[in-house]
Amino acid sequence: MEYSAVEMISYTGSRVLEDEKIVFVGTGLPIIAAMHAQLTHAPNLYMIYEAGSLAPILEIGMPLSVGDTRAARKACYLKGLCAVFELTQRGFADYAFIGGAQIDMYGNVCSHLEGDVYEKPNIRFPGSGGAGAMAANCEKTIVIMALEKRRFVQQVDFVTSIGFGDGSPDYREKAGVMGSGPYRVITQHALFGFDEETRRMKLLEVAPGKTPAEVQDNVSFELLMDENVKEMAVPTEQDLKLLKEEIDPEGYFLKRVTR
Amino acid sequence: MSETSSKIKNISRIQYDPKPAEYWGPTPREARKKAVAKSKALVDKSMTLKEAVQKHIKDGINIGIGGFVNTRIPAAIIQEIIRQGARDLTLSFQSNSICCEWLAGAMIVDPDRVSIKRAELAWWGYEIIGIAPLLRYLNTSGKIQLDDYTNYGMSARFKAAAMGIPFLPVRDHGGTDMELTNRGKMVECPFSGENVYLVPACHPDVGLVNVTAADIYGNARIFGAQCTCQEIALASIHTIMTTEAIIPTESIRSYPNLTEIPYPAVDAVVEQPFASYPGACYGNYWFDMDHLRYYRGICDEFRKTGKRDGLKKYFEEYIFSCETSDDFLEKIGYKNLRKLRKMDGAQPVIL
Repeated sequence: MEYSAVEMISYTGSRVLEDEKIVFVGTGLPIIAAMHAQLTHAPNLYMIYEAGSLAPILEIGMPLSVGDTRAARKACYLKGLCAVFELTQRGFADYAFIGGAQIDMYGNVCSHLEGDVYEKPNIRFPGSGGAGAMAANCEKTIVIMALEKRRFVQQVDFVTSIGFGDGSPDYREKAGVMGSGPYRVITQHALFGFDEETRRMKLLEVAPGKTPAEVQDNVSFELLMDENVKEMAVPTEQDLKLLKEEIDPEGYFLKRVTR
Repeated sequence: MSETSSKIKNISRIQYDPKPAEYWGPTPREARKKAVAKSKALVDKSMTLKEAVQKHIKDGINIGIGGFVNTRIPAAIIQEIIRQGARDLTLSFQSNSICCEWLAGAMIVDPDRVSIKRAELAWWGYEIIGIAPLLRYLNTSGKIQLDDYTNYGMSARFKAAAMGIPFLPVRDHGGTDMELTNRGKMVECPFSGENVYLVPACHPDVGLVNVTAADIYGNARIFGAQCTCQEIALASIHTIMTTEAIIPTESIRSYPNLTEIPYPAVDAVVEQPFASYPGACYGNYWFDMDHLRYYRGICDEFRKTGKRDGLKKYFEEYIFSCETSDDFLEKIGYKNLRKLRKMDGAQPVIL
């Protein structure tokens, strides 16, 4: 079966989400992954959109951004940013689904800048947006990132979204955040989790045709390897049809980058 | 309460200058005094956008920008501010796209007319359409100062101000570089003994919001995501409100539960359909991706080449040669606006 990198990421994102949970989604592939999960194995999974919407019915099209008016369609609860982020603090959001520019072995994510100096960086990205708050207070954080050495780094340039910090057991507690932290990192070639003891990133699954050594070659820090590294499941014809024909028929996200 | 810190040091590579603990706008006490001094009468506050901006926008003030990214943004008000000019502005918002990029573009075209000194923010970009070229240009060339929070952090800052308290404890920022670079503080909670982060209240001098419907006194209804508009309006010393439609006060009084912004928080009510264009307004119109792309493309060209011609032409065509928002919308054209109205999908609102 022919599938693209973004289709693989969306499908894996869907696989990771469990039914009867709430996922706080970022723009793009997280929305697609959550929609796919709802249409397949998780019909009782609901989304939060940060402009203020809980559990919308996306019947007039996929929202192109988290502030899109379509994300408010037939919601159960429609308020503003304070209301939905307070749901996360209170414990009503099971997953944060975020992206970023860089990630380190403890799952700390940078989406602010590239450079050494905050006041005058080499490159400035849009900023935290909701990501910093989602990674702090949704129960589990799922990160989507392209598997590249320049993104999987020894040290991020700026910590935007908290992971396990320096890996010390009480880092998140001292930081005053409520969620349990990084849970999965999804890439086109590999699925990562985190080791309970050391809180370091651990390879769980590799894409068909790839080896753990090839994955390590694209990561700047030393990965832990699961005792039993599995092969990633691939989307079936039915999954690809859902993704391409029902969820993102105009290809806003799925046609962006293809392998 | 004693100030403390998480153990953030040395996680990232960033170097920074710590910011002094101060408000980048009116203090909570000043804001309270201004509110007490206001007339609380139900008086007709409807006026033209020109009058509203003339009355309230001054050099050196903090403007609070409502909406969220491309949704229900105060686009018409920003255009009028650019037409009339305002220098040394502090911008406060959670996430925004073209409102900030228009102000930044105006600053590049003519810094004697419009300039941004600094921004307290969570996010500045276009989402699916791309990064904001002018934020990148202004920040990497050291031309504006930034103070970064999360979307909740900025929302909580407006909320604290709206509540009349000097700060709010929040469960984010801690353990990230925002803890080090922004003006929030980590403290030990006097009740639980645990670390908790405090973000300072944010009182803009002038809040800018566009709403679904309001009466002539400024009692406003917001349908769709409410973003942080209620908090911004209540936090601000003055609020300029555009509304897609003015509705009778009888309707407000029949369903007072639907009022999201109460009249004392509002100083100017301007009826302006499509006031968020090229952004979206739930129940009215979807966002115009083509126009956002068009302007972003011009900005990106400036960032890459340093040539201001494209920007100058755009501002002349769409802002300076327009007397009013209606003139601008006429250039966009009926057919385009009609299409965007259709793309909203008839989201239900109660007028």
